[in-house]
Amino acid sequence: MRESGKKKEFRIPSVFSEVQKTSAKVLRFLKPLDLDETACFDMRLCLEEALINAMKYGHKMQKSLKVRLVVEYDTQKVSFLIEDQGQGFKPENIKDCTKEDNLLNSRGRGVYLIRQLMDKVSYNAEGSALHMVKFLKTNRRSHGS
Amino acid sequence: MEAKCSDQNGVTVIQVNGEININTSPELKKLFEKQVVKKVLVNLEKVTYVDSSGLATLVDMLKKTKSQGGTLCLAGMPDKIKSLFEITKLDKLFSIFMTQDEALAKIR
Repeated sequence: MRESGKKKEFRIPSVFSEVQKTSAKVLRFLKPLDLDETACFDMRLCLEEALINAMKYGHKMQKSLKVRLVVEYDTQKVSFLIEDQGQGFKPENIKDCTKEDNLLNSRGRGVYLIRQLMDKVSYNAEGSALHMVKFLKTNRRSHGS
Repeated sequence: MEAKCSDQNGVTVIQVNGEININTSPELKKLFEKQVVKKVLVNLEKVTYVDSSGLATLVDMLKKTKSQGGTLCLAGMPDKIKSLFEITKLDKLFSIFMTQDEALAKIR
C-alpha cells in the first residue's frame, strides 16, 4: 500500500473478507473530507460492489490475483480506480435489472447501483478497469450555516 | 449480522440486525431455508447496510416463498435501505411496510 498526499493505492487479494476491510480503510482515508452519512454509504457501497465484481468475475476468486485500487480526493471530488487482471467485460451486455422481466434476476444490480450512485462512471476499452467519481459539492456538511 | 426467527400467530418473523452483505447474506439465506413457511415477514428495522448480494438474497427468499404459494413482506427498513429498493425498482416486487405491526396486520 502506497500513500502520497491525497492519493492512496491498495493491492487487494481476491477474497470477499477483504472487501469490508478495504472499504473501512478507504473511509478512514477520506475522513478529512468530513463526508455526511449518505455520501459515506454511497461511496462504500459502490466501492464494495466494484471490488466484488473484480474479484468474482475478473479474477474468478483466485486469491493470488490482486485488485488494484487507487483512491484520490480533493475538495471537489473523490475518484476511485478499480482494476483487475481479468479479461474484462462489456458493461453494455449487462441486462437492465430494473426492467420488469429482470427484477427477479440475481445479477446486474451492483453495476446498476454504481451507475446510479456515482456521478461519473467509465470503463477502459477492455472492461477490466472502472473509474468512478463522486462530486462533493452537495454532499459536504455545512459548518455554521 | 444477526438474524433470528420467531412465530407470531402463524407468521414467521425474521428479525435481522446489522449488515446484509456479500459475507453475511449466505447466513441469512441458510436461516431462511431451514424454515418451511407460508407467511414470512423480514424485519429490517435494525439493518444498517445492504449490498447487491443482500438484495439478491431477499429476492431469492421472495421467489422461494412464492413458489411454495406463500407470501413474504419486508418491514421497518431505514430510509437509506429503502432508497436502494426504489433505485433498483425492487419496491415494485416486494410488499413493503413501515412497521412490523402494520405488516403483520396485513399478512395474517
